[in-house]
Amino acid sequence: MLNLDQIAGSPALSANTARKWMGTAATALVVCLGAPTTASAQAKTPIAKENMVLVASVINTTNPYMISNIEGAKALSAKLGIPLEIVNSNGSSQTEISKIQAILAGGKTVIMFVNTVASSDAPTIVDAVKQAKGYVTIWWNNPAEHSPKDVGDNFVAYQKIPGVLSGRCGADAIGNALGGKGNVVMLPGVQDSTTSKTRVAGFTAQLKEKFPDIKILESRPSNWDPQLGNRNAKDLIVKYGDKINGVWSADDGMQIGAMQAFENAGLLNKVKFASDGLYPETLADLKSGRGDKAIVGETFHRGYMASAVGLYTAYLTATGKITPSELPKEKRESLFELSCVTPDNYQQYTKYDEPDAAAKFVDAMIEKGPWDTSPMKLIGAGPEEMPK
Amino acid sequence: MDKRKLLHGDWQGATSWVVILALVIIVFSFINPRFASIENLRNVLVQASVPLMLVVGATLVILMGSIDLSVQGIMGAAGMVWILMSPNARGGIDYGAWAWVVATGIGLILGLLSGVIHTLFRVPSFVVTLGTWNVGVGLATILYGDSLLPSLTSEALSQWPTRLTLGLPNSFWLASIVVLAGILLIGFTQLGRGILAIGNNEPLAVVNGVPVIPIKIAAFGIAGLLSGFAGILATMQLGSGAPGVGAGQLFTVIPAAVIAGTALSGGEGGMVRSALGVFLLILLNNGLVLAGVDPNYQSGVFGAILVIAIVAVDWPQRDRLRVAK
Repeated sequence: MLNLDQIAGSPALSANTARKWMGTAATALVVCLGAPTTASAQAKTPIAKENMVLVASVINTTNPYMISNIEGAKALSAKLGIPLEIVNSNGSSQTEISKIQAILAGGKTVIMFVNTVASSDAPTIVDAVKQAKGYVTIWWNNPAEHSPKDVGDNFVAYQKIPGVLSGRCGADAIGNALGGKGNVVMLPGVQDSTTSKTRVAGFTAQLKEKFPDIKILESRPSNWDPQLGNRNAKDLIVKYGDKINGVWSADDGMQIGAMQAFENAGLLNKVKFASDGLYPETLADLKSGRGDKAIVGETFHRGYMASAVGLYTAYLTATGKITPSELPKEKRESLFELSCVTPDNYQQYTKYDEPDAAAKFVDAMIEKGPWDTSPMKLIGAGPEEMPK
Repeated sequence: MDKRKLLHGDWQGATSWVVILALVIIVFSFINPRFASIENLRNVLVQASVPLMLVVGATLVILMGSIDLSVQGIMGAAGMVWILMSPNARGGIDYGAWAWVVATGIGLILGLLSGVIHTLFRVPSFVVTLGTWNVGVGLATILYGDSLLPSLTSEALSQWPTRLTLGLPNSFWLASIVVLAGILLIGFTQLGRGILAIGNNEPLAVVNGVPVIPIKIAAFGIAGLLSGFAGILATMQLGSGAPGVGAGQLFTVIPAAVIAGTALSGGEGGMVRSALGVFLLILLNNGLVLAGVDPNYQSGVFGAILVIAIVAVDWPQRDRLRVAK
């Protein structure tokens, strides 16, 4: 294959001359073949469905949230009739990036949803997708300074559910259950993850503002890992014993581990728990009132909604139905609705876990658009503001 | 090699570690008196039980100069098999004791597989066990599928590890039996002697008629079996099944064995020292939480204490070596 360096490598031939030659040759070729001569005409050519591929990249395939991400992508793929590829990052940024690059090399127009392993992965992935002329929506983790509007239409949107609201929900639930008095321990996720940081900020701010008599005894990051949540809870039980009245975890996985530790210590009946995600097991515990109605608060959002909305936004861009650069800020850096769940209102949410729930959500989303589908409507523009 | 001398060496090396452990306990108890409470002792014993079981298998393999990285994968696979055959939230049949047999059997098979490929096809153990690690994770992931989290519905089972027998948690009794069996295996059996002979000088062992291949396969098999066993115990402790139930264990177990003096090159070390290494790591983590060390500083403080402890223990050893020269 001829390349510019080889031509320019001749001492008698400068790089500039080589470029001019190649430019002339390319124009001649285009004219001969009768192809459209303007770039804009090329961009507006609709991409045929058989030339598209949906890609959903998830952090792992065992966490219930990630499984739900896959479910949403499958439902949309079935609805649109476009094949789907799943990228399992196995918790590793390197794996994630290399698998995505392999798919991009496949040549089809890629419509991608990425639940990034770490914020720092987003620029690399977005850049690769842009080079391959694909369209990507990033969910959850993205550096604050990496804005879609600065990258262009290939970085369709950065979407997330506000963590601060999640933390505030948990604080309200525990605060009310304890009657505004008592001691709590916190189990954040991976310490430097944006999602964990925002949830922690929301929880601590809400306690400070609304329940000043509730004291935070200690905070032990548990890396989203149920085992570590379990171990840390055991240590905290030894350290504080029955002084602990409430436990807040940044997600249900860690809460599941922590609840087991309190149950084994015979303390489950005396402690209140709140967390994020309303995993099926947590829902079952909420329904059965495990402990003495130990779970007092949860938040509801589903992975299938995130992936369906993310992919569909990118799909609408690929098919020319929306032009991201013409969209208002909140549709490019989007914060979506989160619902606070309590033992009194959880029944409203069980329908979203029915076997056909993802398909129903996709149907509703295609009818109403990606920003207006209940229970995950667009509620504002990012980046998320941290409480003071 | 004289087996009494070997055993003696293991215990002798262990003495300085006992002193270090005692120091750690005294310092942390001053910072927070609850550290030395019976309640915390039981807590530490429960937390140590899974890595204790694993470190026995890991030590057998490391003593031969090989390595077993498959720990976490086998734990995941065995844990998932066990919980799906026990009373769990997904329903299904409760197979009782068969759940244990099948789950540990999977560990054994994966371990034997590593041993066979390593010896007969002469593939480095690092590479083979990296493969079996992933096979285990893959198996666990398939079993997990995309349905409900399989949580234990039998309270008797989920609370068994922390329940007390003669004042100590059941999981610790189980781990103690395994460690004791490991000590006996290394000190008093032909298999143990063979493992040490291979680690000391494999070509010489071959010349002396030591059945190297069967011994290696057996050691990997035992390590796999114990990883399976540990996977069950970890699943019970968590109260639910997850393919990642062994997360982080590999980097507790191998460092625990190595820092306590089991040489990665093989032939040197022993069960007692490896077990003490586990206790040091668990006590440090537990102590730092009880001492209220800020999570931002915990990793740094943990590493610093560990380095100081290792230097302190090895210092006299280093001196003796210099005199001998």
